[in-house]
Amino acid sequence: MLAVRNLAVRYGPIQAVRDLTLEVRPGEIVALIGANGAGKTSAVKAIAGLLPHTGTVSLGGQPLPRRAEYALRAGLALVPEGRGILGQMTVAENLRMGGYARRDRAGLEAAMEEQMRRFPILEQRRDKLAGLLSGGEQQMLAIGRALLSQPRLLVLDEPSLGLAPIMAARIFALVEELRATGVAILLVEQKARQVLKIADRAYVLETGTLRASGTASELAARGLLADAFLGTVTQAPPPA
Amino acid sequence: MLLQQLVNGLTLGAVYTLVALGFSLVMGVLGVLNLAVAELFMLGGYVGLSLILADYPVAVAIAGAALVTAVLGVVVEKVAYQPLRNAPPIAPLLSTLGFSVIFQTAATNIWGSDPLLMPPDLLDARYRVGSVSVGQAQLLVMATAVVLVAALALLMRHTRFGYGLRAIAENRDVARLLGVPAPLVTSGAFALSGALAGVAGVQIGLHYSAITPYVGVEVGLKAIAVMVVGGTTNIWGVLLAGPLLGVLEVMTVALGGAAFRDMTVYGLMILTLLVRPQGLLGRAGGAQRV
Ligand SMILES: Nc1ncnc2c1ncn2[C@@H]1O[C@H](COP(=O)(O)OP(=O)(O)OP(=O)(O)O)[C@@H](O)[C@H]1O
Ligand SMILES: [Mg+2]
Repeated sequence: MLAVRNLAVRYGPIQAVRDLTLEVRPGEIVALIGANGAGKTSAVKAIAGLLPHTGTVSLGGQPLPRRAEYALRAGLALVPEGRGILGQMTVAENLRMGGYARRDRAGLEAAMEEQMRRFPILEQRRDKLAGLLSGGEQQMLAIGRALLSQPRLLVLDEPSLGLAPIMAARIFALVEELRATGVAILLVEQKARQVLKIADRAYVLETGTLRASGTASELAARGLLADAFLGTVTQAPPPA
Repeated sequence: MLLQQLVNGLTLGAVYTLVALGFSLVMGVLGVLNLAVAELFMLGGYVGLSLILADYPVAVAIAGAALVTAVLGVVVEKVAYQPLRNAPPIAPLLSTLGFSVIFQTAATNIWGSDPLLMPPDLLDARYRVGSVSVGQAQLLVMATAVVLVAALALLMRHTRFGYGLRAIAENRDVARLLGVPAPLVTSGAFALSGALAGVAGVQIGLHYSAITPYVGVEVGLKAIAVMVVGGTTNIWGVLLAGPLLGVLEVMTVALGGAAFRDMTVYGLMILTLLVRPQGLLGRAGGAQRV
């Protein structure tokens, strides 16, 4: 599905990601974990076509376009860090934006209704400005919106950021549900322990470099998680 | 008398509104002031008036002006903005200032610095409603503005282009992640902005029965005031502030004399910046991006 080889991202003199190689196979949930500033966001923004980078990214065997608007059309949807809700638009308009690249009007209407059924709270708030939703509601809207583009790969950048534990748990449960629908998922998180309960495999990033990768139990056995994270999971999440 | 001034003020306000919308569209999408809009307005007036003098119908003159200024708007984008995307905001501001001067000089060279006059018998019918007399030209100016504003509102709410534009205005990266072809939509915004300014230029020509190379500076600055009072990127605020400032200006002249003409308009702009920086209808906390 997704194959990333030797990805490198720099901001002027700062090398945010170096030589990152990773893979997400069909039907998998793959976690990308790392502490603050490890380079997770930079990596997924580069993959999604928002940041200049070197290295290769392919989806389903084809090179992924290097510009976000075309990467989306190739089947990659990124829910960005901070959710990327368009706060001046209504909930329904945000959902409609999710189908911006679609040509099938009838299909889009039906798919919007499907997401509203999946998230009844969005149906209730459909004509409210999306900026007025709570953090958890916004995250559901962001995920529902991303699904409207019918992605083959869904990339979520810290979906639990700033959410109460119960809401974070709901989001993780939702991610598991989504896998069952056939979409592959790349999940960026700091909350390593929770993520590893649902992820098939994980990659651990540390100051821009891949530190380890493997299944949850493999990583735990090698003691790498404690090293890379347990210091950070106890920190209070920053406000959204 | 007061009612008559109100009608005159609303006519002027209609012109200010369209030019302000021209500024506001680009401001919304890129967060930068496109000073060239003021001179596209002036050029629109010249193109429109030239077509009228060549005996084309007014509707053709308006469409022709809109087309020319839309194309020039895109030229401004390609030359003054796109290469400077990652430069500090002052850079594109200055390059559009450069375009303004070039447009003005070009107009002076082509049409001369004396006013270009409209045929005296064009749209000169007047209608009396009670004590108020409304000119045919005035009616046309107001009607075009109402139609264009309504069309713009529909475009923003109900078309893919409108959705894309609003998304980019709010967050360019998010819009791109959702599949909005940002460069294309941005060019579209510049074209639309130019077209609105161009139509407004024909309107001012009809209203004043003349056009000069300096009308862009005069009206353009007022349109910026309208935009600031309305709340930079807030279309509805602009719709309120345009007529308001038009009426305010006309009333100031009627009651206080021509010497005070621009003082109240710009005074209101400064007052807005001081006490309500987000503009009449802008949201609190959303500071103006000029
Ligand atoms: N726009 C930018 N300009 C310069 N440096 C940046 C920029 N964005 C990120 N960086 C730097 O790149 C490094 C990686 O940042 P990135 O946001 O990718 O990390 P992250 O793993 O997503 O962190 P977090 O968990 O806090 O979201 C950091 O050192 C950061 O300071
Ligand atoms: Mg991040």
